[in-house]
Amino acid sequence: MSQQNGESTVIAPCTVGCPVHTDNRQLVDYIIHGEYEKALRLLLDANPFSSVCGRICHHPCEQNCRRSKVEAPIGLRRLKRFVIEATKEHRLAYSKARQVPPGEMERVAIVGSGPSGMTAARDLVSMGYPVTVFERSENPGGLLGNVIPRYRLPYEAVKEDIDDILSLGVKLVTGMEIGRDITIENLFREGHSAVLLATGLSESRTLNVPGIDSEGVMLALPFLQTVLSPIPPVLGKRVAILGGGNVAIDVARSARRLGAEKVTIICLESPEEIPAWKWEVEEAHDEGISIMHSRGPRKVFTDNGHIKALELKRCTSVFDSDGRFNPQYDEMDTATLLADNAIIAIGQRGDLTSLNGSDVQTAPGGRLRCDPKTQATSRQGVFACGEVLTGAGSAVEAVRDGHRAARAIVHYLETGDLIEQPYDDPQALGELPDETVEKIVKRHPLVLDLVKPELRIKDFVEIERGFSEAEALNEAKRCLACTTGAFADEEKCAACLTCVRICPFGVATIEKTAVMPQEKCQACGLCATQCPAAAIALKRFGTTQMRDELRSAMESQNTELMAKPLIVSYCCLFEVTSRNWVSETTVNCLESGIVRVMIPCVARLGVLDILSPFEMGADGVVIIGCSSGDCLYPTAEQRLENTVREARGVLGEIGLEEEVIDYWRTEGSAEVSWSSFWEISRRKLKLMKDNEGERANDSSRAKTTV
Amino acid sequence: MIVAERKPLSEIKQYVEKYKKILIAGCGTCTTVCLAGGEKEVGVVAAALRIAFLKEDREVEIIEDCITRQCEPEFVEPIAEKVRDGGIEAVLSLGCGVGVNFLSERLDSVLVFPGVNTKFFGAAVEPGVWVEMCAGCGNCILDVTGGICPIARCSKSILNGPCGGSQDGKCEISPDVDCGWHLIVSRMQKMGTLERLSEFVPPRDWSTSRAGGPRRVIHEGMRSQNEGSEEVT
Ligand SMILES: Cc1cc2nc3c(=O)[nH]c(=O)nc-3n(C[C@H](O)[C@H](O)[C@H](O)COP(=O)(O)OP(=O)(O)OC[C@H]3O[C@@H](n4cnc5c(N)ncnc54)[C@H](O)[C@@H]3O)c2cc1C
Ligand code: SF4
Repeated sequence: MSQQNGESTVIAPCTVGCPVHTDNRQLVDYIIHGEYEKALRLLLDANPFSSVCGRICHHPCEQNCRRSKVEAPIGLRRLKRFVIEATKEHRLAYSKARQVPPGEMERVAIVGSGPSGMTAARDLVSMGYPVTVFERSENPGGLLGNVIPRYRLPYEAVKEDIDDILSLGVKLVTGMEIGRDITIENLFREGHSAVLLATGLSESRTLNVPGIDSEGVMLALPFLQTVLSPIPPVLGKRVAILGGGNVAIDVARSARRLGAEKVTIICLESPEEIPAWKWEVEEAHDEGISIMHSRGPRKVFTDNGHIKALELKRCTSVFDSDGRFNPQYDEMDTATLLADNAIIAIGQRGDLTSLNGSDVQTAPGGRLRCDPKTQATSRQGVFACGEVLTGAGSAVEAVRDGHRAARAIVHYLETGDLIEQPYDDPQALGELPDETVEKIVKRHPLVLDLVKPELRIKDFVEIERGFSEAEALNEAKRCLACTTGAFADEEKCAACLTCVRICPFGVATIEKTAVMPQEKCQACGLCATQCPAAAIALKRFGTTQMRDELRSAMESQNTELMAKPLIVSYCCLFEVTSRNWVSETTVNCLESGIVRVMIPCVARLGVLDILSPFEMGADGVVIIGCSSGDCLYPTAEQRLENTVREARGVLGEIGLEEEVIDYWRTEGSAEVSWSSFWEISRRKLKLMKDNEGERANDSSRAKTTV
Repeated sequence: MIVAERKPLSEIKQYVEKYKKILIAGCGTCTTVCLAGGEKEVGVVAAALRIAFLKEDREVEIIEDCITRQCEPEFVEPIAEKVRDGGIEAVLSLGCGVGVNFLSERLDSVLVFPGVNTKFFGAAVEPGVWVEMCAGCGNCILDVTGGICPIARCSKSILNGPCGGSQDGKCEISPDVDCGWHLIVSRMQKMGTLERLSEFVPPRDWSTSRAGGPRRVIHEGMRSQNEGSEEVT
């Protein structure tokens, strides 16, 4: 797939994979440039539950990341968490700035304050619709606020997102159960023009096994809810969990934290089939939890009405030939597991209390009757979203559903009609070709250790930490910047083959004019720098961008007042480990005489870019690249050396000293070494300038004496 | 392709330094490909001149342009017009010599200076290295010489080489220069056509080359009606 006009028809697969299509690549680019506020705004616009998702999202973005083929995906979830943590104050300001005064628009009632309902509320209120969210529990946030254990998701994260949404003007009524305290029909009578059901799946399914009602046997959701309550449940030493999904793992790990010594997960699936996420299984394992695969409960043995043990039977297959859940057992192959408690975590179902006293119909099986495309129920003006509609999923999918519901309701309120919104994913950029993978410099991701298992099982304190700024910046530079690569202007391209010859990734070819297939291009920009026809641009870095940045950097300073020698320093953005440092060193431009232009890879500098500062009155140019051998792009360092040599040659030809151009390589990091580079170059240039002045004086003296 | 090389900037500066408003014109074809006079190089030359003039406290307006080819009227006319209308006092062409000529013909009162040295017709034997391969003599004899041109590739352009200066495949003028006749003989040997060199060839008529004065080529089919009816001598 080429992109001759720079317009790409495909998008980065991380973005396609994200249910709300967060523009991860742009996000990473903002991070690299230290523009954390822009990154936050991008995140929040796509996902109002960004604090939550930065912690617990199952990150389909990472699973789709093209870098996986090189060594490992970009740690996008943690980068998002970093952005959230780095911009707390800005978030408050941003919320304020986004407040829309409620207009004379129709009122909307939303039932349920989980991620789907609250997302819809945010979208609607941002468009001026007055919105009230009714929540039956005292805490908003749905499963996020009331069920998911805190060692993974601290309540502060949920609160941040919820508060943010409420600050936009969404009204929240807690402790109000629709269908019991007030009916849907009443909501209409009270003046709401549309009602959105976002009631989630709040009931745990149970099992039909002899003895299942005995004391000590619990259901997952009530168990997890009580774990979060001031009086947590008391468990015995041996706890068995029935189920193999993520909920079962949360239950098991919570049980371990409550003091259970022997926690066993019993699941029908084999190790390969287990539905829980791989990382969840590993972390549970590290906490001393064991998993019995291919077993299902047959009977609960009791002692005085209290569970004593479980009889288990072998599960021979879980799914039928059509892939449907249809477990088969060998009743002759049984085992017994001693247990003081058993917790059933085999799935959730919707509680449709909200429909009581309304005209909203249900479908067979006690489900809500609702068209997933229009999200409309059988009762006019009543819509549904989130897990009550889609079945069990993830938080970010619920957010996506909330956005859809808001669009559906706005359309309904504006036109009286329903709108179909099929779940179409945009086309993703194809995978990295093997020959490209081989050429990409390997950079392994930073693996952050969780709190040590023996410590973390002692309490419910969060076990994962976020990236530090330096770590985030280091991780961000691994991004391949998919689909932002080079494209050639056919009108200008002379088919000279320069790009073909210099591309370190073997991307460019000539088909009458130059073509750079997006699947292969790594957006290093070397071809654009070298193209003699100025025909190549990067999608995110136009042919004149470097000079534009230089100009704006120069214009932002009063160069007349700046200390002399006046130096323009082109610096590799990838070597900076804190943006404060960049802004601090920029502030003292006036005193230091150094104007900084930060660029992603200084090998993008062409001869002209190195000469331009002199046209603008600079006395010297100091280029600072990455540490030797550390460049993301093969051959780039050598190309830059050639370019510097050429630029020096040009100055020599017009009678200037070549030493006014310096090229340094970062040692350690920008913070460690750059200031000394600047100082050395500054002193040298000062000396040169002084000598020049003296020579000029001498010659004028000589002239007068003659 | 025509191969050229940018002139030293000191020389270029001398040409244009007396003017206040100059145009640097690049060519988007041959001199772009040989990295001597494309849009980027126009930028570099312009920047270098600006820096040099700045140093001398001189105010000179430098305008940059690059056209597809400086050897076609349709491309050259607009830029000539720009020069005439824009009060430009001198033009520096980074096209080959043809471009300089062609632009000069269109500009009665403005001088056009060469920004490159036009070298030869050649090929890129490796990235960044071009070698002369054709002399444009107007009467091609490559059929006889195994596809290797003795006029362009033999330092003496002799038609009955190699001469006594051929040493180990190299020409006596420099160990870096292949002996053209050595190349011819080796290739013909390999192809089994060496005996063609013993065929009698009448003395060459050099009038098709520079000896015959400035040359022209006419494609009758393409030529416009008026011109086509003219007698061409
Ligand atoms: C144990 C567990 C762990 C999970 N872990 C993750 C994870 O790591 N990552 C991830 O992405 N997802 C996870 N999920 C899934 C995620 O929590 C859900 O996908 C998401 O919360 C669904 O959002 P929702 O808005 O559809 O419903 P919910 O979050 O369920 O919210 C529905 C809300 O509606 C309220 N409600 C229901 N009926 C009424 C009524 N009649 N009147 C008023 N209010 C009502 C409920 O009280 C509830 O607050 C997990 C789920 C569970 C159970
Ligand atoms: S490399 Fe970057 S842009 Fe490409 S898929 Fe991964 S995160 Fe997205």
